[in-house]
Amino acid sequence: MLNITNLHAAVDDKPILKGLSLSVNAGEVHAIMGPNGAGKSTLGYVLGGREGYEVTDGTVTFDGKDLLDMAADERAAAGLFLGFQYPVEIPGVSNVQFLRTAMNAQRRARGEVEISAGDFLRLSRAQADALGISMDMMKRPVNVGFSGGEKKRNEMVQMGILDPKLAVLDETDSGLDIDALRVVGEGINRIMRKPDKAVLLITHYQRLLDIVQPDFVHVLAGGRIVRSGGPELAHELEREGYGAIAA
Amino acid sequence: MTLLALPSNREESWRWSDLSALPEIAARQPQGGVPERLPWLDCATGGPRLLFVDGRLVAAESNPGIVGIGAVDIAPSDHALARLVGHEGWTLRLASGHAPLGLVQVIHASTGAADHLPARIELDVDAQASVVETFLGHGWTNRLSEITLYKGARLMLARRILSEAGYVSLADRVTIGEGASFTLTTLAAGGADTRLDGEVRLAGDAAYAEAGGALLARGRQRHDANLVVRHEQPHGVSRQVWRSVADDQATCSVAARVEVARGAQKTDGEQSLKGLLLSRTGTINSKPELEIFADDVKCAHGATVGELNRDALFYFASRGVPAEEAKALLTGAFVADALERIGEEAAREAFLQDAGAWLAGKQADTE
Repeated sequence: MLNITNLHAAVDDKPILKGLSLSVNAGEVHAIMGPNGAGKSTLGYVLGGREGYEVTDGTVTFDGKDLLDMAADERAAAGLFLGFQYPVEIPGVSNVQFLRTAMNAQRRARGEVEISAGDFLRLSRAQADALGISMDMMKRPVNVGFSGGEKKRNEMVQMGILDPKLAVLDETDSGLDIDALRVVGEGINRIMRKPDKAVLLITHYQRLLDIVQPDFVHVLAGGRIVRSGGPELAHELEREGYGAIAA
Repeated sequence: MTLLALPSNREESWRWSDLSALPEIAARQPQGGVPERLPWLDCATGGPRLLFVDGRLVAAESNPGIVGIGAVDIAPSDHALARLVGHEGWTLRLASGHAPLGLVQVIHASTGAADHLPARIELDVDAQASVVETFLGHGWTNRLSEITLYKGARLMLARRILSEAGYVSLADRVTIGEGASFTLTTLAAGGADTRLDGEVRLAGDAAYAEAGGALLARGRQRHDANLVVRHEQPHGVSRQVWRSVADDQATCSVAARVEVARGAQKTDGEQSLKGLLLSRTGTINSKPELEIFADDVKCAHGATVGELNRDALFYFASRGVPAEEAKALLTGAFVADALERIGEEAAREAFLQDAGAWLAGKQADTE
């Protein structure tokens, strides 16, 4: 589904990713772990297509198409979802309006008909309920006045409604208490643990991986993947720290 | 008119205006005719309707009801543009205990030349009215309105300038009595340049005044609002909420002043002047001013100018929303701050739609 080959990327002319390669197939969950400054968030933004993240070498294909050639909104329409470490507050635009606009823009881009207001409300109610977000909150401006945990749950509501093929989740576990972590983790499993979908979980910690069990774990250090393994690698990292493994 | 004496940019209160097109427009002959589409608001309550084309009432399209047409009882003005208005215009005078009026709608259409018209609104004790004025066309539409609200009276006035070209200059003199309430919201969402002048006096105890709006400009358009709110008596409340949007080489200027007289204790004044630049070549001028001679008052003011939030734009993009659509939504949310204050629902919805149409026009331009 996702093929990253020898990816080099720079921010403000400073190289961050230095030859990263990774393949993710449908039905798989991959965890990317690594110390601060390793390039984890940069990888998320490069895949998401954020301005200012310049790819200097390498290729990325998504379902066989050149991902790097698409604008950020085209990537979303193609089925990529980027979960934000710090979800953005948008005063004056309600969650419902934001999501309906997003959903219809994606549908138009794919040549599908727009969703009706009634169907959209039913869909958003179901997804919000599953993540403990009230419809009252859905009518409030995007993330404004939401706690850290509510923002992360709201990301999962968005993911559930937009129903992507590939989710790249950047530290979706940060800032969550144990209960919220469980809600979010179970949300990821429910929405994305399917044979035709895949997940790239960018995280610092083992605890999310206890709920969303990865098929593969990769260690990102110095802008490259320095080690890959199965779920046991995450436990090894937890015990021994990045220092020993990334060295 | 043969002699049009216009102020120069060297005068402080005219420094941001460009009046250079006016002599040429004033020399034109009107083309005449009634606009094909008259955007009357659809509202359940009905109410008087007036259509002025080139400053003349079109009786066949109007239903003035209680609104008087003819000589207007208005004091002369020394304002450079408003002094041209003459004596024939419209008058809305409501007595205490009048029957509900519905929404008063006035459409001013210009077919290319200059026209000047005075208006008078006088609401007696506890009288209430809601007035929506819509400006269309491509000449120079020049207005002076004198408004007097007696004790406990309430006036909601909303104006939308949708004229596709030319110039619209609107001047207001407002006197608000004890416990009376005046709200004025202006939306400039067409292609004309505008000059808005307001002099609002809170002349009675615990008067309420709101004067603000949204100015949207692109191309080489210029909007210029100049407002003075005078608190003359205690316990007055005033709000000035302006949202300006400038794209291309356009300029929006808002000079808003609050004056608090010596005896006007417990005044509560608030100004919020915010500008949004959609391109780096646009200009936003904000000039908030406070002049306070009383010692027990609360006056807050804030003025900011910025660009659309890049994080928000990427957030939209990451969810699949194309950049132009995201910009229109974010800009719409920005101007909604000012327009959502309109108390009359039909007017509020229409104004938000007009702003949306302006923003959608922006989309069409860049595609």
